[in-house]
Formats: sequence, C-alpha cells, structure tokens
Amino acid sequence: MTEPRVHIVDDDEAMRDSLKWLLESRGLKVELYPSGEAFLDAFDNSFCGCLVLDVRMPGMSGLDLHEQLDARASTLPVIFITGHGDVPMAVSALKKGAADFIEKPFNNQDMLGLIESCMKQDRAAAAKRAENASVTQRLDSLTRREREVLGLIVAGKLNKLIADELRISIKTVEVHRSRVMEKMGAASVAELVQLVLKTQA
Amino acid sequence: MMPNIAVGAFILAMVALVWMLQTRDFDQQMATLARDVQWAEQTLRLHMQSDQEFLQELARDASDGQIGGGKFQARATQYLAINPHLSNIAWADADGIIRDAAPIKTGYWNIGKSLAPTEQEQGLIAARNSGRPMYGNAYISERSGPTLELFVPIPHGRNFLGAMVATYPVSGMLRHLVPAWFSEKYHLSFTGAGNRLLAENSAARPHDEGLSYSLNFDPPGNGMQMHVVAYRTDTSLAKILSILLIVGLSLLVVWSLWSLRNSLARRIRAEDALRAESNFRKAMEESMPTGMRAIDMHGRITYVNAAFCKMVGHPQEELIGATAPFPYWNPEDTAEHWRNLQRSLAGEPPRSGIESRFRRKNGEVFDVRLYEAPLVDSSGRQAGWMASIHDITEQRRARAELEASHQRFMAVLEGLDTAIYVADLEADEILFANKAFKNIYGYDAVGRNCWQVTSACHPDPARFMAEARKLAPHQTPLELHDTELQNGVNGHWYQLRERAIQWVDGRVVRMEIATDVTDRMNMEELNNKQLERLEQTSRLVTMGEMASSLAHELNQPLSAIANYNMGCVNRLQANDYRPEELLAAMQKASAQAERAGKIIRRVRDFVKKSEPNRGAVEIADVIEEVIGFAEMDARKAGVRIGVSVPPDLPAAYADKIMIEQVLLNLVKNGIEAMHDTPRSERELALSARANGKDFIEIKVADRGHGVLVEQREKLFAPFYTTKPEGMGMGLNICRSIIEFHHGRLWAVANSGGGSVFSFTLPVNPR
Repeated sequence: MTEPRVHIVDDDEAMRDSLKWLLESRGLKVELYPSGEAFLDAFDNSFCGCLVLDVRMPGMSGLDLHEQLDARASTLPVIFITGHGDVPMAVSALKKGAADFIEKPFNNQDMLGLIESCMKQDRAAAAKRAENASVTQRLDSLTRREREVLGLIVAGKLNKLIADELRISIKTVEVHRSRVMEKMGAASVAELVQLVLKTQA
Repeated sequence: MMPNIAVGAFILAMVALVWMLQTRDFDQQMATLARDVQWAEQTLRLHMQSDQEFLQELARDASDGQIGGGKFQARATQYLAINPHLSNIAWADADGIIRDAAPIKTGYWNIGKSLAPTEQEQGLIAARNSGRPMYGNAYISERSGPTLELFVPIPHGRNFLGAMVATYPVSGMLRHLVPAWFSEKYHLSFTGAGNRLLAENSAARPHDEGLSYSLNFDPPGNGMQMHVVAYRTDTSLAKILSILLIVGLSLLVVWSLWSLRNSLARRIRAEDALRAESNFRKAMEESMPTGMRAIDMHGRITYVNAAFCKMVGHPQEELIGATAPFPYWNPEDTAEHWRNLQRSLAGEPPRSGIESRFRRKNGEVFDVRLYEAPLVDSSGRQAGWMASIHDITEQRRARAELEASHQRFMAVLEGLDTAIYVADLEADEILFANKAFKNIYGYDAVGRNCWQVTSACHPDPARFMAEARKLAPHQTPLELHDTELQNGVNGHWYQLRERAIQWVDGRVVRMEIATDVTDRMNMEELNNKQLERLEQTSRLVTMGEMASSLAHELNQPLSAIANYNMGCVNRLQANDYRPEELLAAMQKASAQAERAGKIIRRVRDFVKKSEPNRGAVEIADVIEEVIGFAEMDARKAGVRIGVSVPPDLPAAYADKIMIEQVLLNLVKNGIEAMHDTPRSERELALSARANGKDFIEIKVADRGHGVLVEQREKLFAPFYTTKPEGMGMGLNICRSIIEFHHGRLWAVANSGGGSVFSFTLPVNPR
C-alpha cells in the first residue's frame, strides 16, 4: 500500500503550483498532473488519499476522468473544483459518487478541511476493505458442510434443528460449530453473525 | 270518277229517254195521223164509191130508159138530200148536152146546155173512151170553188149514150165528209195537179208541219192529193209536264248524286285523315318508349302497346284479356299492386302517378311510374282506364346517384370547419352557407344580406382586387381578396378569401371562405413569445457564459494568489520555512495578480469598442421607422398609433440606432400596457416637440393600466419588471442610453388614464 497523497489535476499551472504550495504548508503529500490523461497514465488501484479535480479542462474534462476511474473501480475520493454556473454539473458528479465539490473562488480553509476529511475517510475505508478481505479469506477456508452449518447458525437455529435439517447427529453439528467458530476467529455467536453480515453488506 | 261517269250516263240516259219518248210519241202521233188520214180517206172513198154506184145505177136505168120523166129528178134530188157533199147530179148525153140536172134551181147545170169546155168535156170524153166511171180534173168553179166531177158512162150496147155527172165541191166534201173531231185535230187540205191548193178545212194552218201526212186521192186518181197536218196543242201540256217532271227529277237525281259524290269525297277524305291519324298514332305509340296499357272497367287488359310488351317481356297475346293478378306484377309487392288497381278502378288514381315495381318475364324487377287516365268510348261512356307506364329504374338510379353525390358534396361542405358562403353580387343576398358559417352567424343566414349578416367580420369590398359585379362568367374563378380579420363578436381570427365564381345558374357570384386561424394566430403568438423567451434565454446564457468565463478567468489568478498567500501564512505560522521559498511564492502571487489585471483590461477594451456613433438625427424619421417595426404588433393588438411631429423640429444629436431602440422599447411597452384596455380606447400617441432651445422632447402616451407613483422610480432600476417574461433591463438600459446622450427619461401618469414616457435629447453636441 502506497502512502496517502493529494492528487491534483488542473490545466492551470498557477493553480496547481499554488495549491501544492498551500497543501504542503499543512504537511500533505501532493502529486500534480496537468491533465486527466496524464493522471490516468500514472494511476493504479493502489493510489490512496484523495483526488482534487478541476471540472473545466481542455481535452478530458473532470467528469470524463471521474467516469474512467469508476470504470477502473477506483476507491479514491474525488473533490471537484467548479467554476461559476457549473453547479448542476457538480450535482450530477456527486450522484455518480464524487466525495464533494468546492466552488471557485474557494476559501482556503474550507479546501484544506475538505481534503483532510477526504483523506481520513479514505484511510478508514482502506482499513475496512482490509478487514473485509480477512473475513472473506476465513470464510473461504470453511468446508462445504461447515458453511451450511454457518448459514443455519446465522439464521438463528438451534443445534437440534440444524441436525434435523441436515440429517446429521447433534454431536456432529456441535463439532462443525466449534470448527466454524475457531476458523472464523469468533468468540461468540453474536460476533460470528456480525462478521458474516459485514461481508454481506 | 265513278260518280262523274254515273252522272254523265244518267244524264245521257235521261236525254235518250226523253228523246225516245219524244220519238215514240211522234211515231205514235204519226201512226195515229196515218190511221186517221186513211180512215178519212176510206170514208171519202166509201162515200164516193157509193156515189159512183148510185150514178152507175142511174146510168143503167138510163140505158134501160127507165128514168125518163121525172124519175131522174126525183131520185137524184133524193140522193142529194141525203148526201149533202154532192152539189149537183146531172145527165148528159153523148154530145155533152145536159138532159137533166138536179137540183133544177141551180143556174149552173142548166138543162139543154152543153157541158163546160175543157174539164167537163175531157171528163166526158174520158168516160166514153174508157167505158168506166172517170173523174175529171179538179178545177175551180165560179160558183163553188174547187170542184171535182165524176163521169159515169151510160152504155147501151156499143153505143154511148152519155154520162151521169156528179159534182163534188171540194170544200163541201171537207165540210160534210170529214168529221168534226178530225177537223179539230188536223188541218186537212187537198191539192190538185201541180200542187195547187184546192181546199182546206181551216184557214188556220199549223206552224209546225213536222207532223204531216200526204196521200194520193184515188179515185179520182188524177193527181189529187190529200195533205194532213196535225195541230199540236192538245197533248203538249201533259207532255211538257212529264218532260218537266223528268227533267226535274233528273236534276234532283243529279243533284243528289252530286251531293252523294261530295259526301263520298268528304267521307273518303275523312277516312284518309282518320287513317293517317291512326297511322300517326300507331307510329307514335310504337316509337315511344312509354308503355301503354288499357284495362276495362272490370280490370281486364284490353290493350297493350309494343313498348309495354317490350318492357315487361310478355308477348301481346299473353297480356290481352289477362286479369289481375297480372303476369308482370312483382310477387313481393302483390298487395300494393292490388291496392293500386283498386284505387284505379275506383276512379281515384293519383295525378302524380303511382310508383310501382314490375317484374319482367325473365324475373328482372324494375321500377315504373304509372299515370292512369279514363278511357272514354265513342258514346262518351267510360270504358276503362288507360295507363302510361314509364320505366324509371334508370331515372331512379340517376336520381339516387345525384342525391348521393349531393349528399357527399353536402357532407364535405358541412363537415368543413371552414365557413363558406356564396352571395349574389346584385342584392348581396346569401345564396348558400355551410354549417360552419351558420354556426357563426346563425341558421337563418341564407336569403339575408351578406354584409349585414357578417357585419362582425367582413373585408372592405373597396379593397378587392377586381370589381366583382363587372366580371363576365368566363373570367371566373378569380381571387378577389385574401386577408386576416378578427371577428368582433366571438374574438376569433379568420383568414378570409374572397373569390368570384360562376354560380350554378351561370351568374357570377362571390364566395367567401373563412378559415378560423385563431389557433394558428395563438400558436404564432405563442411561438413569438417562445422565440422572445428563447432570445432572452440565449441572451441570458450568453451573458452568463460571458460572466462565467470572465469569472473563471479571474478565478484562476485570484485563487492562485490566495493559495500562495495562505501557503506563506501557514508556513510563517508554523515557523517552518525557508526565506527563498517564501520569496518565490510571493513572486508567483504577484505574477498572478498581474494576470488578473490583464484580464480586467481586456474587458475594458472590449466595452470601449462599442462606443455610440452620434450625429444629427431627424426625430420624424426615427418615429417613422419605429412605427414600421411596431406596426405588426400594433395591428395584432388592435392599437392605433397617432403621430404628431411639428415640421420645423430641429434634428437631435444622437446615435440613431440607439434612440430607435429606446423609442421602440417604449412603444412596445405602451402597446403591451393596453392589453386589458377596451379595444376602442387602445390608442398610442407619439409626439415630439422642442423643449427649450437646446432639447427636443419625445413623448409616448398610452392608455394602459398606468404605473403607481411608488413604482415609478423603481421602473428604471435594473432587474425590476412588471411583465411576466420581462428581464427588467429594458427601461434601465433606455435610461442609461438617454443619460449617455445627456438627456433625461421619465414617466408620468397620463391624464386620460395610462402612462406617458418622455425623454429629451440635445440638439447640439456638448
């Protein structure tokens, strides 16, 4: 996993440079790209932090770039910078999953706050993604019978009922159950259910 | 010809008959005459015979000598007494000496005297020589006129002793021997030798000697002749009568024949005429397509013509004598046929004829119309009914087609939502109007005056392209006028097209086609409004874009400056900086500030380029051009525009285009302000006058809703509007333009309602 950075895409050199100057004054790592195309060339899914994107650009527009990123399953939060009268455009971008937008001319503090909250969000999301990944991994380690038993446990059924349903002895159910609890690393049934539901969400 | 010949023959026959009668009568008379004459001659001869015998007896006695003495005298006298036709008897001796004579008294026959010479002597000699009684030649005696004498010889052996002489006075003979009836009937005369008239029984001789008879008188046989001529008196009357009768009757017959002939000729003529007439009628009957059928009073067919036979397909012999139900009746309509027949026989056939359906022999059914008329015979008595039958199938079909076509035509016309009417050009009377027209102007429109009916909405005939009344039929159809008008009553707009067309009766009429174009007008208006809105929107968009791009352009350097600044501040606060870093950032910020300044200058340059182009402007021209622009709107809104500009008004010093914009804006506002004003009051007054020495004042006065006092100053503020689609920029810009020209723009209330917008313009440049 790479270091979180603020990726800035703007066609105006002065904007890019001044933003970098501003953000760096708050200790943030900044990467600059003069166009959407340049960013896409550099992009890979390990990017984290946030993306500050100017809506109005010659060549690939900010919206186009956003769509491309969506298509590449990017999780990078996107902040749009919009000019006067581009509000409807920004709204449609939000609907498509952008994190937020900020209208030019913007207040520096607002801009900084927005970027920092986005980076925090991205960090949390990354952590959650990692946890989900481990639960999934554990689920994959279960045998078929164990997964059946897990399903019935999550459905709230008692061992006897599970035994009846699967036509096995209660003893065998109990063995499967303890195996599942062990493999999933769950201390209680409640924790087990929470884990399973998290992955399903 | 024949009668002529007959008449001629008859006349000939009659003439022949009369001639024959005449001839026969004549022959008969002739025969009677001959018989009577012979009878008279016979009588004379008998008398003379007996006289001769008496004389012979006397002679014999004298020869015997037995009459001597007085005996002769006695016997002769006695004889004379009973035979008065004898005048004398004498006894002469051989020498001619008279021995005795009776009667003695006569001095003529004197005894002893000799016989008179010549005739008497010759008689004596002849008697002596022949020895037989002889008559002497007749001669005229002095005493008794013509006289005839008989000499009878007295023989005595061979001796001649003399002769006995008897004297016949011829007249005496006529007098005594011819009976009285004979003398009445005939004229009798004796002639001697040499046709010498000796005696006649009457001096009256008949005029006509045609009926006469002559014969020799023998004895004496000496050339004496008896000549008889009949008097024609006694029978003539009867004869004439009969002839007259015949002639009369003949004439009568001829006349009657003649009149017969005439009447015959007349009759022939009449017959000829009758035949001609009959042939004519027959030909007429045969030639005409109308079927004729006669029935008697019992409903039996007595006559059919060829056309009828052809029509129903039955030969004549099948129809004549037929009784109801007739073979040509359509079986489906039998009841109706019976009813019609009953009505006809009852003598009440409808005058308009009966419509019925007949069936041909081949089963084809066709429509007919029958007209019944009483059939009267020669005696004036009704003998039946004559019906003429017309095949109206074709007629009906044509009528039905015509009706259908008319209905189609009417359906189309009535179905149109376009109002159409046709009006006479002379009386302006509406001849035809369709339903759409009647829906607008009332259902009693036809027949009324078109201008009255359409008073709410009609064009001015004076503006027609041609005088329709003067058009000849061949010049039609002709477009007269095409305009759009609003109906004052229902408020709809109509496109009115006037056309001169030829009417069904040939005259030229005017047709108006009024199409309701309200929707179109509304649509147009809507379109216009939309267009206006679009223009405004695009103007807005353009303005917005311009502002947006201006803002964007300015945003870049401003944001960059802010970022550099904030970056510097943050670093300075954190006390984490390198001075050269800060310097570079500050320099970059200055560069961005310069960039922003450039942008502002560019905008100022752009604004500077649209400086007005001022010059001398004639206000009258400006007003005229503005009215030209606004006229369409004014007409649609029903607004009249009045103009009042003094001719000596000086020219204003202004940008003409800009002033026109201002004035047009004010005029349009005025027109729109009167939207709710009654139509008659919609008037916009434009006027101009000199305001002092240096200014011209121009006024636009409307009669609209007016402006409240508190609103009046707001009017000119930007983005203030009283109109739903207004931008709120018009009056603001106007005021800016006028003030730019060093003039003033203001509004006051119109004393008669509405507002007055006035502005001033300088006459000379400042």
